[in-house]
Amino acid sequence: MKKLLIFLLLVPMAFAAWQSVAGVAIMISLGIVAAIYMVGKGFGINELQMMGKEEMFQLIATGILVVVLVSSDGLLNAISTSDAFSEGQPTMQTNAMAMLDNTIGEMGGILSTIQNNDRKNQVEGSKSSQCSIMGTGYSVSGCGGYSMLASPMSMAGGIVGFSIGELSAVHRLIQISNEYAFSLLLPLGIVLRTIKLTRGAGGLLIALGISLHIMLPAGIIFSEMLASSFAASPESAAYTGAAEDIDWDDYECNAGDTMPVTADKTENEENVIDVFNIMKSNIRKYMFQAMIRGTLGPVLALLLMAGSIKAISSAAGSEVDVSALSRFV
Amino acid sequence: MSAEICGPGFDSFFSSTIIPLVAYATIVTSILIALSFMVGRATANPKLTLWSKTEVVQLVISVFSVFTLSIIINSFCIVDIGEVAVMFGLPSPGSNSIFGAAQDYLHESTLYAHNAMTVVRYHLEAYTVMAYLNAFACDFKTGSIGWGCLFGYSGENMQPFGGHGASMAALNIFFNGSIMAFFTSLNFLFILLFVYKGFVFLFLPMGVFLRAMPYMRSFGSLLIALAMSFLIVYPLMLSVFWLMRNIVVDASNGFVPPSSPALTNYMDEDVFPDEEGAGSAGQSAAAAFVGDSAVSDTYFPNDPNIVGAIMFAANAFVAAVFLPTTALIAAIASVSYLARLYGEEINLTSITRLM
Repeated sequence: MKKLLIFLLLVPMAFAAWQSVAGVAIMISLGIVAAIYMVGKGFGINELQMMGKEEMFQLIATGILVVVLVSSDGLLNAISTSDAFSEGQPTMQTNAMAMLDNTIGEMGGILSTIQNNDRKNQVEGSKSSQCSIMGTGYSVSGCGGYSMLASPMSMAGGIVGFSIGELSAVHRLIQISNEYAFSLLLPLGIVLRTIKLTRGAGGLLIALGISLHIMLPAGIIFSEMLASSFAASPESAAYTGAAEDIDWDDYECNAGDTMPVTADKTENEENVIDVFNIMKSNIRKYMFQAMIRGTLGPVLALLLMAGSIKAISSAAGSEVDVSALSRFV
Repeated sequence: MSAEICGPGFDSFFSSTIIPLVAYATIVTSILIALSFMVGRATANPKLTLWSKTEVVQLVISVFSVFTLSIIINSFCIVDIGEVAVMFGLPSPGSNSIFGAAQDYLHESTLYAHNAMTVVRYHLEAYTVMAYLNAFACDFKTGSIGWGCLFGYSGENMQPFGGHGASMAALNIFFNGSIMAFFTSLNFLFILLFVYKGFVFLFLPMGVFLRAMPYMRSFGSLLIALAMSFLIVYPLMLSVFWLMRNIVVDASNGFVPPSSPALTNYMDEDVFPDEEGAGSAGQSAAAAFVGDSAVSDTYFPNDPNIVGAIMFAANAFVAAVFLPTTALIAAIASVSYLARLYGEEINLTSITRLM
């Protein structure tokens, strides 16, 4: 009967909100700290008394964190939903995800263009002509010049692919924070911070929650604002706008043609040089999209996040070495 | 999945091996301390007696820590992480212990990374096979028949599916990345299973003994801190990530992110011939009479999805490398913090007044 009564008393605890759990954790820790201090005072052990005082200070800091989180929920929501950051979207997080989706779409278009040009170039460059009758004949490959474009095309594909991957990773991190930062990571971090053994983990969860939810989207929005400001300036003419399309029907390779049409070039070589010049004129536009918007932007946002994790985790009471995370950037 | 650490086999290991070892270490240490105290009294050496009294307190702290650790381990086996999620206003992902959730997260992230590797590899295989196909188009064609080859060999040699260097360059980067994510996740899983198998518990009796020995307190503290951090902090962090599995590893979508075309189209690698012969000859014949699309349709009936494959690999990197690394960072930070905590000297000059 006693066990049933105890169980019934504990049942409401299972359905308590995280604030109640945090309060209970603080009270339990307070009891333990008081016991430690009493033992230290009773036996004259200064170190235990100092430990008790330090733990009391940490409990006060944790209580302040709980109050700040509950009261500043509205403030953080106001920051997230302010027009400066959200730009018409419900929150800055959804705004950042929308920007990333847009950039990924543009990178996908660029990759598709590069793939198409690469394929056409390689098909033309692979052509060779043969003619033999009764075992006598010749073979000639007049399309070797097209092979010079293969290497830069591969490099371009790799760079654009890398930017797509980086944008996707940042998108996934913001997605995680949007769903779990304030509902799980932050409150659980506060609860864990009350216990001495898990203070490090709690501090890291708090830092992770705040950094993923605020700093990472803010970094994306700021870098996108910088890129948009540049794109709107007169100096950006060479870096913005649509890239010139290559109509490969005009640049087909005639594999058997090895007769020069100019002083030292065949028509095939003239064609591939024309293609090269078109690509050269487009390279600034691709560089701006792939390197600035697609790579530098996410890198800056990730560095901002890593620095924020280090600073906030120190303030939250756990010194963690985030250099391992920074290396992933 | 039930973690081994919560099973009956582990209970017998802990109660029949670890507890007795801790008890032996405690008894041996107590005897050494008592002998030191007696020698100190006999030789009227106050340093020796003071040291003995200090070490008694350290011994009590060490034994109390082991006792606390056993309670926490039992609690981690009992607490339902699904109920914890409900407590924080999240839908319950299912019933699981903290240790079980940590193990399940690493299993799922490994599976996720492997799925990403499969999708990327499928695209790479397809493009590699297609790029190596050569076609010889005979001159003077009538439909699929080139009359230029009737009495000789006159025509144009080409690679109709060549030119996927840009795609393969992009995919190679993420193929390497997904392999790294896969092996990193396995590495973290092995660390966790190593902890669960109980070897780290052997640090406890060693730590209890060494903490009370001269000049060895910091090393003994390190051993106890290692055991506590990797038994408490590391699984706890991983279990928190398990609660986020619906987004982190797309658990609600079969561990494959939603994309169009669906990425599950690129997971059946039986489409690739195991050896040269019938498979490739059949494709060549099909290409000759049906057209080049017969080859590309074999591998990409729903069109390729390179962007989706790259995004999948990037998400796998977050799930299998970034998040478990934060768990390990938290555990290592905890080790240094606890080692400092246990390694501090306690001044007991006041307590001598009582004795």
